[in-house]
Amino acid sequence: MAKTPRKPPTAPKEAPPPRRALAAPTRGKVPARTFTSRPVPVEFAAPEHRFVRADIEISGIFHGEASYEGRIFLNNPKADANTPKDLAHGYAGSFHIFGHGGCLGDAGHCEVNEHNRESYDFRSPHPLTPAEKHVTVTTALREIAKSSKAVTITVVPVVTAVNELCDGENVFRCENIQFVTYN
Amino acid sequence: MMPSGAILRCNKLGDREALTAVAGEFRVRLGVHNLSADQVTAFRDAYRQMMQISDNRGYQFFAGLHGVPSWYCWHHQHNSHSAQQMRLFLPWHRAYLYNFEMAMRDRVPGVTLPWWDWTLRPPRQRGIPDIFAAPTAGNRPNPLATFRINLPNTKPSLMHKTVRHPGAPNDLPGQSDVDDVLSRTDWNDFNGAIEDVHDAVHGWVSGDMGVVGTAAFDPIFWSHHAMIDRIWWLWQVRNGSGNISMDLLDKVLAPFNFRVRDVLNVNDLGYDYAAAQTVASAGGTG
Repeated sequence: MAKTPRKPPTAPKEAPPPRRALAAPTRGKVPARTFTSRPVPVEFAAPEHRFVRADIEISGIFHGEASYEGRIFLNNPKADANTPKDLAHGYAGSFHIFGHGGCLGDAGHCEVNEHNRESYDFRSPHPLTPAEKHVTVTTALREIAKSSKAVTITVVPVVTAVNELCDGENVFRCENIQFVTYN
Repeated sequence: MMPSGAILRCNKLGDREALTAVAGEFRVRLGVHNLSADQVTAFRDAYRQMMQISDNRGYQFFAGLHGVPSWYCWHHQHNSHSAQQMRLFLPWHRAYLYNFEMAMRDRVPGVTLPWWDWTLRPPRQRGIPDIFAAPTAGNRPNPLATFRINLPNTKPSLMHKTVRHPGAPNDLPGQSDVDDVLSRTDWNDFNGAIEDVHDAVHGWVSGDMGVVGTAAFDPIFWSHHAMIDRIWWLWQVRNGSGNISMDLLDKVLAPFNFRVRDVLNVNDLGYDYAAAQTVASAGGTG
């Protein structure tokens, strides 16, 4: 009986290129972009208003990528990461973002769609729903109000942890910044 | 000293036998800076054993619940964008630590999870505590220094030993920061302030601790969160549960079998924090 000819060995399929593993995060190596607000009339903080506490409320903060300290300076738009954190340079306080570290999922994994929720969607909010931070700036704002008619808010992000999945420059992204005083 | 939690349990049960029964199981968490040599050895042994287990009793499983690959943790969830104001940062991490500590005790009975008091300054402590920083312990790799993440299927894969890039010791939050946090009597205000201090420490350690996705793989993560949990408990001792919203109390802390209301009292969870104390012995007459 004739032997069935053996099939010639097929060429092995080309193996997919190995995915490069993600390296551990490092500190930021390039200065992140600073943000300065438009001037806000400082009348709301005049001495006659006698507030006991003043906060800067930052809402709609993106926290999906790098981690950073957001240093807040009042009336110092030239502030950068080397500016001393003292009242003389307008330093008012800091907030800190513990970032996600970039997307480690499939396409769409980190897309937030909270606005289009169905009425009966009781699932938990998306982990990357934008954040809010409150920074108490009472002393710095009182100082500004003594001598200025307007105040600008400059946010200097100092990146504490970033990896190759993150934009290390365009770090601070938010929807609104406002002062809130408490009497 | 009798832990206050044990006394509370006795009062609650109204039964001295019950106290005797639970006293041996009641856990008193200590500061890292106050651990004895034997306690450090037990702590390391628990981590070392858990790191050798690849199933759901092991270190990688628990670390993976926080960020990559399971993403159960709660951070930054108090905002106007969300229909539900999910301020679950503190209760979720309390449930997380509870489960992790129990898994530690499955390996080394009696061991507890110590807190890292990052407010301490030299000479008492300089940045990362020595028991976490030392690369080796007893001629073996120190399990508190690093952990090799083994997640080949994430995109991209994560297959490295955790690293840290700590900042200057004096840049860590200090006692004044903790005092400021504890002075806030409103739950929401306190919650936001303590979370920000927590965020600052993650950033200070940097490296894998610096981002949500990999933070829990760093062995120091758990003691950092024990410190945060302790500060919450100190706040609760002063303020009770505060004005925490009723809506929040029945939220489930997935994947754990707790609701928020179940984790409010650490004594009900069988533990307490040792009083902060410093002992300066002057010797005796003998």
